[in-house]
Amino acid sequence: MSVQYHLKLAPGDVAPYVLLPGDPGRVPLVASLWDESHEVASNREYVTFTGTYRGVPISCTSTGIGCPSTAIAMEELARVGATTFVRIGTCGTFQDRVRNGDMAIFDSAARYDGASRLYAPLEFPAVADHEIVGASIAAGEALGYPFHVGTTRSADTFYAMHPRPGSSFNDYWQSSWRDHFEDLKRLNVIAAEMEASVILVLARIWGLRAGGIAVVLDNVLRVSGASGEFDPQDQFEHGGDEIERLARMGSEIVRIVAERDAARDPHDVNPA
Amino acid sequence: MNLQYHVKLAPGDVAPYVLLPGDPGRVPVVASYWDEAREVARNREYVTYTGTYRGAPISCTSTGIGAPSTAIALEELARVGATTFVRIGTCGSLQTRASVGDLAIFDSAARSDGASRLYAPLEFPAVADHGVVTATIEAARSLDVTHHVGTTVSTDVFYTPQEGVAFGGYHQSWAREIYEDARRQNTLAVEMESSIVMVLTRIWGLRGGAMAVIADDVFAMVDEGGAFDAEATFDVGAAQMERLARVGSETVRVLAERDAAAPPPTGTV
Repeated sequence: MSVQYHLKLAPGDVAPYVLLPGDPGRVPLVASLWDESHEVASNREYVTFTGTYRGVPISCTSTGIGCPSTAIAMEELARVGATTFVRIGTCGTFQDRVRNGDMAIFDSAARYDGASRLYAPLEFPAVADHEIVGASIAAGEALGYPFHVGTTRSADTFYAMHPRPGSSFNDYWQSSWRDHFEDLKRLNVIAAEMEASVILVLARIWGLRAGGIAVVLDNVLRVSGASGEFDPQDQFEHGGDEIERLARMGSEIVRIVAERDAARDPHDVNPA
Repeated sequence: MNLQYHVKLAPGDVAPYVLLPGDPGRVPVVASYWDEAREVARNREYVTYTGTYRGAPISCTSTGIGAPSTAIALEELARVGATTFVRIGTCGSLQTRASVGDLAIFDSAARSDGASRLYAPLEFPAVADHGVVTATIEAARSLDVTHHVGTTVSTDVFYTPQEGVAFGGYHQSWAREIYEDARRQNTLAVEMESSIVMVLTRIWGLRGGAMAVIADDVFAMVDEGGAFDAEATFDVGAAQMERLARVGSETVRVLAERDAAAPPPTGTV
């Protein structure tokens, strides 16, 4: 098989377990926590490192922002042998009980993206593999990180759909946005980010495994100022170690999943 | 609080853990496997028994067929104190790996129902509680019941508008390949109630899950003459119903045991 068109990866370049941050700049940071690693490809927004973490083969590939580029990453990673996908990202929250710096573990996603509905109708659920959810809970408990398990909203827009004019350029606004965030809060949605839905839908329809975690940077109901203005550079809190904790928890999830996979009885007709 | 309008239940009548079959006739059958049980209410398609199973408080309420009557059952059960809902039903299989008599454990549902979208937009996922999924797997394993974990499609129509299925040859072009497409989406089974159970429990911060015994292969339903005879095709034997009742009851016991050791923290639902 030739090298994949966008990711520039060939079979053998990645481990079965792949961490998926959005930002290519975070890939070397994630890999710096591993026993050893090397860059195997870099093209457009897609950077891939492969190595081992506590003895487990692991890769990390950036997806870029949004579901279209993430769908391409998933398609090409699956073709070169990836079977288990764990998104590691940042998110906002809709819930008062979720605080900045907490971890959100996604067992499902609300599909406010375009790419996933070109693969499967909107009725179809974006659901994480329960083994990845279980390993994420175990990793959060082992590391002592506060976490919340629930549904994320994966949307194609970052600056749109805020409750008041001011988030989109030039005060562009739509009345249908007014109660959107409050409605999601009432739906018990815990997070807002931009990639989980397509990762969960694609892994499910292919019979592969996926899950996701994100560190909470802010409560999206409070990010807009009195005038509705939204300045993420100013308002999103990066205290310094959020990304390191995210990388550590993601790597631990892979280690736990790999350990449980190795303990599985290959003749068990009920693998669970 | 007054008696609930449809299910005729008051606070104290049900356990926090409720099994949800569709058929009111199955409620006493399910309860027959418990340590003790009594009928607490009966109205329309809603029959409720409450008792204990291996020491765990448990109830069983029938929902009737479909998401509309199931939504009413959930609304009223939650008002009288139910917090954990486990659907136990029958389904058709969409995958060759899942055979008649096997148990399908649903971690999620495709929302081809009407009621759930009046509560939440279609973007919102119908997803089971993680703890209920793992408890169901544990229960099935402990009872040595062959099972499969996956997505169900919960549909509002039993007689899908396909040739030979709906009355009088009525069919629609969009329905011709819906189950082949669902099979390609890796959907495990078809039934009629799981989506509303999962959506409502999720938005209320409660716990929901679902399992169903496979009664038939959806692609073998229509016979060679092109006819669909549900009575002849769906054969749910007493042994299958017993397994369903036992795995459902055992799921409740596993959850009650875990909850006693560590109550589910609020905010991690």
